[in-house]
Amino acid sequence: MKIPLLVSQVLNGLATGMLYALMGIGLSIITGVLNIPNFAHGALFALGAYILFTIMQLVGNFWLALLVAPLGVGLLGVLIEYGGIRPLYKAGHDYQLLLTFGLSLIVTEGIIIVWSPVGMSQLPPPLLRGGVDLGITFYPKYRLFVMVTAAVLVLGAWLFLEKTRYGAIMRAGIEDKEMVSLLGIDIHRLFTVAFALGCGLAGIAGALTAPIRGLNPWMGVDMLGIAFVVVALAGLGNLLGSIAAGLLVGVAQSLVALFWPEASVAVIFAVMAAILLVRPQGLFGIR
Amino acid sequence: MSRETIRQLLVVLAAVVLLPIFVRHAIATEIWIFAIFGLGLNLLMGYTGLLSFGQATFFGSAAYVAGYLLKYYGIDIFLALAIGIVVGTVSAAGVGYLCVQRSGLYFIMLTFALNQMFYFTAYQWTTVTGGEDGMPGIPRPSIFGFDIHPPLAYYAAVAVLFLVSLWIMQRIVESPLGKILQAIRENELRAEALGYNVPRMKLLAFAVAGAFSGLAGVLYAMLFGIVPLESIGFVFSGNVVFATLIGGSGSLYGPVIGSFVFIWLSESVSTMWARWPLLLGVAFVIVVLFFRGGVVEAWARFWGWRAAHRAPAAAQVDADAPR
Amino acid sequence: MPLVKTELLTKSFGALTAVKAVTLEVAEGSLHSVIGPNGAGKTTLFNLLTGQQTPTSGRIIFDGRDIAGTPPHRIAHLGIARSFQRTSIFPTLSIVDNVWLAAFARQEFWRGLAWRRADGYPELTRRALGVLDEVGLGDKARLPAREISHGEQRQLELAIALAAAPRLLLLDEPAAGLSPDETQKMVALVQKLKGRYTILLIEHKIDVVMSMSDRISVMHFGSVIAEGSPVEIRRNAEVRRAYLGGIAAP
Repeated sequence: MKIPLLVSQVLNGLATGMLYALMGIGLSIITGVLNIPNFAHGALFALGAYILFTIMQLVGNFWLALLVAPLGVGLLGVLIEYGGIRPLYKAGHDYQLLLTFGLSLIVTEGIIIVWSPVGMSQLPPPLLRGGVDLGITFYPKYRLFVMVTAAVLVLGAWLFLEKTRYGAIMRAGIEDKEMVSLLGIDIHRLFTVAFALGCGLAGIAGALTAPIRGLNPWMGVDMLGIAFVVVALAGLGNLLGSIAAGLLVGVAQSLVALFWPEASVAVIFAVMAAILLVRPQGLFGIR
Repeated sequence: MSRETIRQLLVVLAAVVLLPIFVRHAIATEIWIFAIFGLGLNLLMGYTGLLSFGQATFFGSAAYVAGYLLKYYGIDIFLALAIGIVVGTVSAAGVGYLCVQRSGLYFIMLTFALNQMFYFTAYQWTTVTGGEDGMPGIPRPSIFGFDIHPPLAYYAAVAVLFLVSLWIMQRIVESPLGKILQAIRENELRAEALGYNVPRMKLLAFAVAGAFSGLAGVLYAMLFGIVPLESIGFVFSGNVVFATLIGGSGSLYGPVIGSFVFIWLSESVSTMWARWPLLLGVAFVIVVLFFRGGVVEAWARFWGWRAAHRAPAAAQVDADAPR
Repeated sequence: MPLVKTELLTKSFGALTAVKAVTLEVAEGSLHSVIGPNGAGKTTLFNLLTGQQTPTSGRIIFDGRDIAGTPPHRIAHLGIARSFQRTSIFPTLSIVDNVWLAAFARQEFWRGLAWRRADGYPELTRRALGVLDEVGLGDKARLPAREISHGEQRQLELAIALAAAPRLLLLDEPAAGLSPDETQKMVALVQKLKGRYTILLIEHKIDVVMSMSDRISVMHFGSVIAEGSPVEIRRNAEVRRAYLGGIAAP
């Protein structure tokens, strides 16, 4: 086994793992606060990528695109929560969930209609093209950028949840919604913020992914499953757990891809199933 | 048997007999196959309160395994059906075992994630499953020497199996197990306090749902002569959820009605527009926002409205409390 | 020989100890009440007895065997049934079904579990209807459980526990939320049950407790601060002190 190859695969795993963690954290926030697994999470991830693509086509400014994508998706999240999820509050979680499922179809098909059913590619900005000599191996600059950016975002999410007042409210909301509303906090606004935040994270994860994996309308479906895996392993609202689970999954996938490329996607779920067999509550969960 | 039951039975029989007159035989067959699939899901969704988003796992697995054996080993039809049911049951028991240990939200996510695992396995294992292209060339062996290749003959065979499945499901929901599952849906903690091993009951429901899904899967493979990759994918899982939802998940016949609506809609629209899933998504959203009780409830609501506007005095009597 | 007794039963949640070294004995056929201010640990005690929570330490001896830590779904099969403080029924199922399910669970063999029609168990149906008659809901058997009044739901709550034909009945505030009239009916009902069942009762209404109990344990901040006959408890100074901030003694 060639060491340089191994190292670069591990680095790949870390990069995708950080993205998985981002997806997991976004989903965890939505699911933890609103109590619904957001089935549209993958489609919104894809939407983020496509928004980046369009901004790049129109303006060519990568940094702008990286800003607009999460904002755009987050804004859509606000609309979805306000117009779809909130009216269903009384009907129950199952219906809110089904709504997100319907939306996932609408968004995915919408992408096909607005952009194209055919896959597309997206180059990183000139600044981030090419590789960097790490000594052991030559590694693409863009992937390092993704790793760092995702880490920064995760840190930001952590700071928000742990250190700010509203973050504490959000964490409390995950634990006990009744208590939070009894404390006089507007629970519905909390839901909207949580949902928008989760969507925004999905959007930027998608935007960051585009130059690595290219774009296709179904790129979100795979990610949805992976986000679910991360949450199932980490437990809701467990930020550090999501990071650990995401990295675990990412690295495992990269390593498996070296020996058995065909199984590289299915192995994620197999690993999850194996872990859950031994520890039904996930890696860190309490149930 | 009560009058109500006899009436319902006659309606179903009439539907079975009359349907092929109005609808292409292949579509009509597909409706009953999907209805069997829906009956299985509804035991989980409507009766036990478990929203399973991965039913295609059992449907597709059964289709692939039975299809493979039919194609390469020429097994007879009864063996194929039996294998389909067994594969459906076993895969459901396996998936169910992992899923019932976690509560609501995790449960739903796990059914989906495990479905994805099976999907990607089917996608990648091209030597066996044909990957994206599916597994074509599934034969349709004869039943006791009767050739069931003619669409109407196959329709008859499937219709009979549907009626048998409906009868079995009716027995199950009216049995103690049916009540236990409903109790679990209503109040899991109390059911447990009463002495019921809740995860085990849920697993049992899963296995039964898997059996029905498996049967439907084999019939589907033999209907179209091919096992498409989609049949094990999440969209297919979503389809059966939608069909059950739109039919009305609170009743035994809901998934049957839903199957009608869904298959008819999807077959007519998908030929016109490739972006049919968009309409499905929109339909999902509309049904969820405005017609949650499905067709059954909408129908009851309509009759209630009519009664109220026809005879205000008679409308005092609440005809039917939906939900 | 007491039917059930706890020995130094303790339950802590981190720094908070909800039940502190509780030792009590309930003689077979007697009615033993547990009283105390809110938060004294009474419901947690019940949860420990019925397996909804596992003790941090201590033993629960039922019929000579230590059952501490037994999972909830096995508790019923030991012959212990419980009614809940907050009504916990199956709302859309019929009243008779609510009760029937409790009776069915206790069968030795679930013959025909998925096959026989639920009304094909005549003996169970008879038992279910019998219990409903006993609590006074016999004529409402076919109604969905959510359609009866709160008071009637408390009766149903009791009926569900009875239908399991238990040896030990744990009643958690059966009179919770009942009007004075309804409370009287409930008291009469529980009086009828005395002797036929061993009863452990949590109740806030002191007059109810005093009139019915053979023995009373008083809990405060997780510990048992007094135990004895109703007369002894009424005279106990410590008990008076504990209740000064809570519910008044008669």
